[in-house]
Amino acid sequence: MKDFILKRMASIILPFICIYGFYVIFHGHISPGGSFAGGIIVGLSFIAFSTIYGTEKGRKKLPEKVLVWTESYGTLWYGIMGMVGIIKGVPFLTNKLAGVNLGVPGTLNSGGLISFIGFGVGIRVASTMITLFFTMMEEE
Amino acid sequence: MTAAITANLPVFIIIAPLFVAFVLPTLAQRMRLVENLVISVEALMLFGACYLASIVLFQKGIPIIYQMGGWSAPWGIELKVGSLGAFFLLVIAIVSLPIALFARGNLTFEVGGKERRARFYVLYLLLVGALAGMALTNDLFNVYVLVEVATLSCCGLVSARNHPRAAKATFTYLILATLGSCLVMGGIGFIYIVTGHLNMGFASQELGRIWQNNPRVVWMAFSFMLVGFGVKSALFPLHVWLPDAHSVAPSPASAILSGLAVKGYLICLLKVLYNVFGHTLMQTYSVHKVLVLVGMVAIIAGSISALTQDDLKRRLAFSTVAQVGYIFLGFGLLNTKGLAGTLFYLASHAVIKSTLFLSAGAMLAVTGKKNIKDLSGIGRKMPVTTAAFTVSSLGLIGIPLFSGFVGKWHLLLGSFESDNILSVAVIIAGSVLCAAYLFPIIRIAYFESAPEKDWKDPNVPQKLALILLSIVIVVLGVVPGSLLELAGRAAAELLVLQ
Repeated sequence: MKDFILKRMASIILPFICIYGFYVIFHGHISPGGSFAGGIIVGLSFIAFSTIYGTEKGRKKLPEKVLVWTESYGTLWYGIMGMVGIIKGVPFLTNKLAGVNLGVPGTLNSGGLISFIGFGVGIRVASTMITLFFTMMEEE
Repeated sequence: MTAAITANLPVFIIIAPLFVAFVLPTLAQRMRLVENLVISVEALMLFGACYLASIVLFQKGIPIIYQMGGWSAPWGIELKVGSLGAFFLLVIAIVSLPIALFARGNLTFEVGGKERRARFYVLYLLLVGALAGMALTNDLFNVYVLVEVATLSCCGLVSARNHPRAAKATFTYLILATLGSCLVMGGIGFIYIVTGHLNMGFASQELGRIWQNNPRVVWMAFSFMLVGFGVKSALFPLHVWLPDAHSVAPSPASAILSGLAVKGYLICLLKVLYNVFGHTLMQTYSVHKVLVLVGMVAIIAGSISALTQDDLKRRLAFSTVAQVGYIFLGFGLLNTKGLAGTLFYLASHAVIKSTLFLSAGAMLAVTGKKNIKDLSGIGRKMPVTTAAFTVSSLGLIGIPLFSGFVGKWHLLLGSFESDNILSVAVIIAGSVLCAAYLFPIIRIAYFESAPEKDWKDPNVPQKLALILLSIVIVVLGVVPGSLLELAGRAAAELLVLQ
């Protein structure tokens, strides 16, 4: 394909979309959006890349193995963050009682473990979206 | 260290299978490790469930309350290990371990290559984790989430075999189960509108106080819950998805779907009916009469449909529809004996139906034939498998010394206690019909001449699983002991509330 404009524009815009996705993920606890919405934006940037540059190039960027690993360990990360409480001797998924520094309310450094949990959920959602897209593209 | 483990056991028992399920896709190339991990996590669950059950029995009715994240009840999410939770947890652990063992020997035939087997185990463990969550949760929204997790893993398990019929059955199941989820969600929404609580205990207190303000909304909540969970647990007129789904699924999946998944929804319904609405409200709205009525219809209709089936697994699947009828009937009896009987029957049916499906699966794997007529003389060629099938058939019919009898006996006692002679007649008629559709299979298997074919008992893990489950059936029938006591106490607790 010779859609020069589309490819140039995509190469300029897509990195920003991806970064914006991570921005939404990490600001999930203080602004609208969150890890699910952010994860979808991150996934979308890769999906757009594969539709514009072709599925093979997209696959080369994110091989199936990487997707499987991020999907599995992204979810596991949530559980590991929950275990922090148990290690500190308080119930599962405890935040403040586990001695996590809650920071200043309203700033990025607030919410303790929430943003870490959000990161796990975010990459999981992103890789799930991409996996779904590749599955549908390669179905024929 | 041990103190931390025992204090957090309720949450560990739910997240352990989930954790392993998340790791499995990355280990798909090392199948040995995957199988060992699955079996060991199931064994750990069994230990944990026994420990929790013994604590609950020892504490005499004081439940273990676990507050997630350290937030107390109306705000946070609670896990409650009462008698009911410990009882169902024990059932899950007892049934799911042998099924995992069986799957280890059988899955290459049923499902295929490494990747597919690893995916099967992922779904299996997700389902087990969701069921364990259903047993313990004390929060209505958690119930919905876990129901969804279980439903979607069930859909995956049904379609685990790469076959067009499996895809069609999965699609039907997915549509109907989603409808059920929507109704459950609606029911939870109505309860939340009336009470403003999602915690079962608080919602129940509020409902008891202010249900007169919105009687119609409570009525809607009742009907949404009944129909929603009715679709999911294959109550008779809503069972259309079950025979297809449970007969085309791989045998270990059929075993866990028929044995445990359906029971999980029933336990959720029981919790919603008795722990949230309470039995006084059920009597006000005559819900118990509806439950007894639909239960009786399901027993007769399910048994007669099972009689007409020639496909072995389809016959067993229709039998599940009939047995779900017994459990619904017991839910409506509103006395301790009947409720304890239902719970025990639920447990014994979980064990029995898994054994039936697993032994049927072993027979199908060897013979390659689905029809009952083609199994002639299999009893002499595959003694262990057919013996397990026979033991579980006798248990399902309700012959004394097998576990089904204890449950049915208490159901009968409960029916007598509530002066419901019709339900007594239906329970007995159901047993006769059950004998009518199971005995021909045993007769064909043992008393007809075998063809000259090289049929052999399956390999060691499969045989071990069948033997273990058969032993559980006989032991529960001879010494129901502490499981029956746990069921009785759970029933008493359910009826004491309000």
